[in-house]
Amino acid sequence: MSLVAEAFVTQLAAAEPWPENAALYQQLKEEQILLSDNASSLAVQAFLQMCNLPVRVVCRANAEYMSPSGKVPFIHVGNQVVSELGPIVQFVKAKGHSLSDGLDEVQKAEMKAYMELVNNMLLTAELYLQWCDDVTVEEITHPRYGSPYPWPLNRILSYQKQWEVRRKMKAIGWAGKTLQQVLEDVDQCCQALSQRLGTQPYFFNKQPTELDALVFGHLFTILTTQLTTDELSEKVKHYSNLTAFCRRIEQQYFEGNDKESSSTAAARSAKKSLLR
Amino acid sequence: MRGQQRRACRSGVDGGQDGGSHGAELLGRRLGAAVRAPGVSNRHGDVPVLISEDIVISQPAKILNFLRKQKYNADYELSAKQGADTLAYIALLEEKLLPSLLHTFWVDAENYCSVTKPWFASSITFPLSLYLPGKMSREALNRILLTRGGPPLYTLTEVEAQIYRDAKECLNLLSKRLGTSQFFFGDTPTTLDAFVFGFLAPIYKVCFPRVHLQEHLKQLPNLCRFCDDILTCYFRLTASDGRQPS
Repeated sequence: MSLVAEAFVTQLAAAEPWPENAALYQQLKEEQILLSDNASSLAVQAFLQMCNLPVRVVCRANAEYMSPSGKVPFIHVGNQVVSELGPIVQFVKAKGHSLSDGLDEVQKAEMKAYMELVNNMLLTAELYLQWCDDVTVEEITHPRYGSPYPWPLNRILSYQKQWEVRRKMKAIGWAGKTLQQVLEDVDQCCQALSQRLGTQPYFFNKQPTELDALVFGHLFTILTTQLTTDELSEKVKHYSNLTAFCRRIEQQYFEGNDKESSSTAAARSAKKSLLR
Repeated sequence: MRGQQRRACRSGVDGGQDGGSHGAELLGRRLGAAVRAPGVSNRHGDVPVLISEDIVISQPAKILNFLRKQKYNADYELSAKQGADTLAYIALLEEKLLPSLLHTFWVDAENYCSVTKPWFASSITFPLSLYLPGKMSREALNRILLTRGGPPLYTLTEVEAQIYRDAKECLNLLSKRLGTSQFFFGDTPTTLDAFVFGFLAPIYKVCFPRVHLQEHLKQLPNLCRFCDDILTCYFRLTASDGRQPS
């Protein structure tokens, strides 16, 4: 988008307050959604909860195709549609809510750097595991990704997506990595996050920021999703301050809400059995 | 002082596509390993490459790991948090700065035809010199489009505008983080300084016809001073050998 168009959209966003009927769209939670999309969606939900903005989660089989950027989740607010955490944070900021206003310039730079680290390593590792590891692809990804559609459409769609993801992995140099190397990268990333978090409740001061939401989204999903092996979640469990961090955010922002609360935990454990 | 083994580090003609080879070479020198940079292109087709006795290692991250295992480590004085910050900033550089670096060198038609291609072709043997630069250019464009080119950016011009905007924001963030100190973590350089130098030096020093990223960098005096300091301290023997094309 050009600068003029961006300024125009920002002004439109700022004109109206946050409505009551905001909706967040993702794929079907029980049958279809995959690890990486679930992580992204949870990160956005956590962020909106932290900003105290009400949003209801709507599950649609074609959420990916409805999204303006092709990625889930996206939010439908008023008459605007915004997808992915980065643009959503900016959109929410234009409406006057921000979690990172209290940070100074150096801290903001650090926050952005850590968010890139999570996207670069954790998200790419999740995508690798889902689409490039043959065992996981056969047993989990292919059955889940096309499950709402009839044969042969389900196979065609999942092969198409797999081809796209593998092309991207090849371009960034991850195609040549083995699963063990990818798990080592995840371990390195978790170690960095654990060292940065230390004994604090959140990454910056005592208030959560979008970095906390993003890290929570990914780590919680990794911890609660059952895959063909437990190696990925073991890497995260190794760092006790990260698991405590996830538990703290879940208790504070998700269990207070009636709709979410135990149904979230239940849905996730139901997902465990459905995934195998 | 440290190891006396000769290590040959071939760094290609400029900084290699991913900007890390300058960093790897710098780190090697900083730690006292005798690093030769003959500046000839590597017949394996992949730069940078470290050749130590019989071991051949490519890619900056693996080279740095190898050096670390040989007990050359620039980060032992850093705290755990600073080590974590290093990883985070390297990820930021790769996400935000690398696409525009690749674009400036390999995709922008004027820069590629007048500077990059002749420069690379001049030190690659015929007939590879007819094929390799084109291949690297196509790979760079491919990488940019695959990682940054999805909707809502539909044309190459929109993608270019976005990656240059991200690169300028990244340079601003680095400048704020560096502030007035000499290196990123105090008075001694570390792995992060090596990586940042590897990315910034080509932007700063190479004379391209289309230079808006260089102009933006020149408006950040602390980053320019950072590059100049490292060039004079660690590259003084080779500062005059073809860092800038004619």
